[in-house]
Amino acid sequence: MLSRNWRHLCRRYSQAVNFRTTENSPAQHNDKQEGLFYTINPDLCKQLFAHGGFPRSFMKQTKTFTETAIMVRQPALDLLACIKASDMSQPVIRYVLYGEKGTGKSITLAHLLHYAHEEGFLIVHVPWVSEWLRRVPRHKEMSNSQTHEGFVDLPLDAAAWLIHFKSQNQTLLKSGELKTSKQYVWSKRETTEAGSPLAALVEHGISRVKYACDVVDALIDEIKILSNAKQCKTFVAIDGFNSFFYPLTRLNTPTKRKVKPEEVTLTTSFMKITTNDWNNGAVVVTADQLAFPDDHQESYLPRYLLYKKGFEHLDPFVPIEVGRYSDKEFISCVNYYRDRLWLRGPPEIEAELKFTSASNPYRFMEQCAPL
Amino acid sequence: MANNIRNINKCIPRNSLSYIVPRLLTVQQYREYARPTSFPDFFQNPIFRKEDQAQLIESAELPKIAALPVRPPAVYQTSSAYHDPLVTKVINHVMEMGKKQMARNLVEKAFENIKRSQIERYHLASTPEAKAKIELDPKKILHKAVENAKPLLQLQPIKRGGITYQVPGPITEKRSLFLAIKWLLEATNEKERTVHFPEQFAWELLDAANNTGKVVKRKQDLHRQCEANRAYAHYRWQ
Repeated sequence: MLSRNWRHLCRRYSQAVNFRTTENSPAQHNDKQEGLFYTINPDLCKQLFAHGGFPRSFMKQTKTFTETAIMVRQPALDLLACIKASDMSQPVIRYVLYGEKGTGKSITLAHLLHYAHEEGFLIVHVPWVSEWLRRVPRHKEMSNSQTHEGFVDLPLDAAAWLIHFKSQNQTLLKSGELKTSKQYVWSKRETTEAGSPLAALVEHGISRVKYACDVVDALIDEIKILSNAKQCKTFVAIDGFNSFFYPLTRLNTPTKRKVKPEEVTLTTSFMKITTNDWNNGAVVVTADQLAFPDDHQESYLPRYLLYKKGFEHLDPFVPIEVGRYSDKEFISCVNYYRDRLWLRGPPEIEAELKFTSASNPYRFMEQCAPL
Repeated sequence: MANNIRNINKCIPRNSLSYIVPRLLTVQQYREYARPTSFPDFFQNPIFRKEDQAQLIESAELPKIAALPVRPPAVYQTSSAYHDPLVTKVINHVMEMGKKQMARNLVEKAFENIKRSQIERYHLASTPEAKAKIELDPKKILHKAVENAKPLLQLQPIKRGGITYQVPGPITEKRSLFLAIKWLLEATNEKERTVHFPEQFAWELLDAANNTGKVVKRKQDLHRQCEANRAYAHYRWQ
């Protein structure tokens, strides 16, 4: 009798408390951990996401909660299984994450980046494409490209991205095994010899901001060559990829001409790496409504967001929907928020919040805020 | 009375006059509406809280009022678990030009700021006793802040012999609540242009809840003034 009660109590306790998993390596995640939170090491977090990668509201949460915890969710698990099962000698498979606003596409992408980092992939990660094409701060650096006729360079953005690339791939770049295949001549006095390490190329882009865009272009070519030669495996993650296909950017040339996204040199570089003419890698992009202005957010489906052009560019791809919380995930999230003191109050609140937030992760987080 | 009956005859079938009798026995309702509504006085105020409804059922008063006509509830009268009359009151005070959604967002943002700062303090505190002392519920902080900001006395200008005296006297509960909220908002609006309302409001609430800050000082100043003018107190009735 006592033992039965004891067992009963244990089970109830575990149900109430079980919202965390101690399995902190994404490669080991499977269906058992679905809906549970795992914690990312702060140092790693700084290395991977210091220059973007998490949405701003999530960064705020990590500060308040004093930890970075990500829920293991079905789309990420599906993708991990796909990447593990795929044959790396075949052309790369493109995955498109899509879903309503605030369902966790970027967080899923962050989860996958953690996996890629752990598995020793070379990471090519663009935190938010609209940052380049749609956000225009007071001093946006723009210049006409020297090498491509009629194209526009965004040197500062490209240099910032190179820094991001460098910090994400510190270990791989430091080892110096990745070498360039040909000579690059930047100007009369500046050249990058064939066979110099990839780190030198990146450093050149950071120190000579003028050539940053060309360096990005060269870097992407080199990465493709290296991957084909099986010297490294590459993981490409681009958040808000559909921004590349919106008819207009918010950039203006000095002559007040509107710039189209395909006239930006960065666009052509990242178009190159999302084609499937290379192998030994994986490409994950997200199609996000938030990358578009308010009046073009009618649907969250890839065909609408990518336009015909983008759809055909990516075709064939594997669409993966990131949905709202399931019941299990919602309960686990409620327990996590209660543990972090973010959600307080009587248990009736939960049913109400589930109803009002429609189990949308972002809206749920937002509605817990004033309680 | 005849007027009331005429109204009733309008809205119910003639032959079912049986329920008028309990209606006539009920006490006249007080109005919760600022202006007269299109509903006559014998319409009951809605009972929208689950607790109140449970109480009615328990005390067996529900059958008595079940058939009486009821005014429609206002938008803020919900049975939601986080309904709080004081919070709706403060939101209405923050509101300008009838922009309620905006006012609600501002107050909720202030609550969020309070919560974030308190949670961070909670995590920084080392001992469990220190942690237990930190109040994390922003609504409780609001209640405490308003409680601390409420004045107990007020000064009324009264003219005697051609001179206006500031005469101390008691204050009604309603007016002291009004003054507390008004002072909190005035203190909040005395800010730099670069500081946003929710941040400043959060600070003021935290200050007032700790019994410090501008608002509490203003209350104490009023009390001191009342104390100084106690010699005039008799002018209230002379």
